[in-house]
Amino acid sequence: MLQRSTFHTDNYLIKQLPQAIVFIDMKENIILASDKWVTDFSPLAESCIGMSITHLFSHHNKDWQKVLQKCLKGEPGQPRVGSYLDNTGNEKWIELLKTAWHDDKENVVGWIIQSEKVSQRMHNEVQLDKFHMLSNEMSDIAKIGLWEYRFADDELNWSEMTKIIHEVPLDYIPNLEKATNFYKSGHSRNTLAMTVQKSINDQTAWSEKLQLITAKGNEIWVIISGKPINVNGEFTGLIGTIQNINSLTLSEIKTRENEYQLKTLIDNLPLNIFIKDLDSRKILVNKSEMKYCGATKESEILGKDDFELYDYESAKISRNEDLKVIKTLKPMLRQETESFKKDGTKTVFLTSKIPLVNRDGSAYGLVGISIDISELKQKEKELEALISVASLQNEKLINFAHIVSHNLRSHTANFSMLLDLLTNEKDETEKQKIIGMLTNSSDNLLETLDNLNEVVDISSKTGLVKKSINLNKEITSAKQNLTTKFTEHQVKLINKIDSKVTVKVIPAYLESILMNFLTNAIKYRSPKRKPIIKLNAISNDGYTVLSIQDNGLGIDLKKYGDKLFGMYKTFHDSEDARGIGLYITKNQIEAMNGKVSVESKVDQGTTFKIYFNEND
Amino acid sequence: MKTINSICIIDDDPITVFGIRKILESVVRCNTIDTFANGQLAINEMKNRVATVQPLPEVIFLDINMPIMDGWQFLEEFIRLPIKKGIRVNIVTSSIDTADYDRWISYKSQTHHTITYNNKPLRKENLAEITTAA
Repeated sequence: MLQRSTFHTDNYLIKQLPQAIVFIDMKENIILASDKWVTDFSPLAESCIGMSITHLFSHHNKDWQKVLQKCLKGEPGQPRVGSYLDNTGNEKWIELLKTAWHDDKENVVGWIIQSEKVSQRMHNEVQLDKFHMLSNEMSDIAKIGLWEYRFADDELNWSEMTKIIHEVPLDYIPNLEKATNFYKSGHSRNTLAMTVQKSINDQTAWSEKLQLITAKGNEIWVIISGKPINVNGEFTGLIGTIQNINSLTLSEIKTRENEYQLKTLIDNLPLNIFIKDLDSRKILVNKSEMKYCGATKESEILGKDDFELYDYESAKISRNEDLKVIKTLKPMLRQETESFKKDGTKTVFLTSKIPLVNRDGSAYGLVGISIDISELKQKEKELEALISVASLQNEKLINFAHIVSHNLRSHTANFSMLLDLLTNEKDETEKQKIIGMLTNSSDNLLETLDNLNEVVDISSKTGLVKKSINLNKEITSAKQNLTTKFTEHQVKLINKIDSKVTVKVIPAYLESILMNFLTNAIKYRSPKRKPIIKLNAISNDGYTVLSIQDNGLGIDLKKYGDKLFGMYKTFHDSEDARGIGLYITKNQIEAMNGKVSVESKVDQGTTFKIYFNEND
Repeated sequence: MKTINSICIIDDDPITVFGIRKILESVVRCNTIDTFANGQLAINEMKNRVATVQPLPEVIFLDINMPIMDGWQFLEEFIRLPIKKGIRVNIVTSSIDTADYDRWISYKSQTHHTITYNNKPLRKENLAEITTAA
């Protein structure tokens, strides 16, 4: 009974315990429960006495039931944590702790299960875990290590990442001196030592980019920062971070090296290279472009547009090209352009302009590459002139070959025919006539050969030296030589040539040319009027042009123009027309790098213009 | 020996003219042989004969290189004259220029007259062959 009364007293005491406690017998039926327990698991637990504890929670989720079973069947003294959703839908975290229930004879009669709500604690722990994880991740990703130095015990603490950065084992214990010695001797180590000292003295925050040599001997770049710690107004030490920025710094150095190489390259290319913005202002130029613009510093050109650098027309053309490239996004390739500087200097460029395109597909400028081809153009011109001379010579040669073959052939054909006739001729007088013709033919052949020889002479003696000669002096002398003819035909010569005019000629040729033209003017005079010859000379584009105008028969240039200067071409029914004079004259003029032109009207007269080259 | 009524020689070289005349004497009987020293004189005569309805030559010997009007210029005008009857024109030249040969081909195809191309010197046999009414 006493036993019973004690139990009752105990029962009452247990009910009032401030903790959630439940007593179960060996069959796991609930014998006693503190009011706190009943409240905690209300409303389930309100009439729980005598019920199986497993049954009581049989409607809870599987995980909770598992935790409960682990607690019931497992070793006592081992806390078990699990969660369930209460009737309001909130997750509740509960820690269960089982201890043995002994009777007064120390026999185990059941189990005492203590339960404690751990929801808030669990939440905090999870948050902390998350925070740790995040900060670990962060320091891992950013390779940022932490360090802390306390004055009180002269202790330096390194975080895991700090140790990884220094490549020391995780159990490494640093101190201020050891830490300082990791830095590369010289600038890095000195800077660190001085900065830390200054920070301690002045309580200032700092950050430095330095090189350190890790425990494994790797040289790396780090950013180390520190700031003073103040606890309740007292300066207790330094705290800071350290970050491995080696790959960053190395790539920065690499980028700078690349940039330098690229700059060296574009500066030394024999091309003008520039970058322009949308307003055609230059934002980058290489040395060649600077030199072309006559600048010694980039700043003299940068920011300027073509209108400020070149002549207006050139700038306008260039600006239009720029606009087209920017608008169409199509590069302009190898365009031949003539560019005039403000001082009028002309340069021929082969220019390419390539648009610079943004990620959104619109142009933000253009790259220009120009090559100065002025010299090339000049050479091309010279070559063209040379080719034209060569083809002219070739044409003359072919023409001459035809003349030679034709003239020789016509004479030999005559010989052949006459000899044929002679062989078959019986009549003596006819024979004599044929022989007379043969002799005549032979004389003609000799004369032809002489003429051809004269032509060959002119063409081959291109090396004769030209001299400056007073034109009027030569004309006077030619007139004297022709005095007989001038008097005979009452020729009037009107000479309007300035007494100072000189021509660069081969003297013998000039004499021959003047004689020939003057003779022709008289020879082909009109029977209707007295011959008048007008002479004049003007200077024109590197030539001194002598014009010889007559009032003679004239010539139908439509019919004969292309043959006028041909060999053995005669156009008038004149006894002494040989068809060789103009051919030779033309050859002589051309041998002195000159040219000749003709204007004529039938029955009015002819004007020959002789162009004497004054340059070569 | 065949008979040709009228022959015409157009050549500025008296030796060639003499030669052709001489050979003709031995190969044909010919009533009249006219010679002209250049194309201009010859074409003037031809035009005159067409206009006055006089008989035209049956055979013409034509040189190419002549002053004032050459053989080609003569041909150019001659083939345009209103002459119904086909006339034989024998070009006689010492030219070996292929351009001349090509021009002959071109004129030959433009007219109903018979045009032949002959290199100097002319031989008796050739001459006999080409001296026949077209």
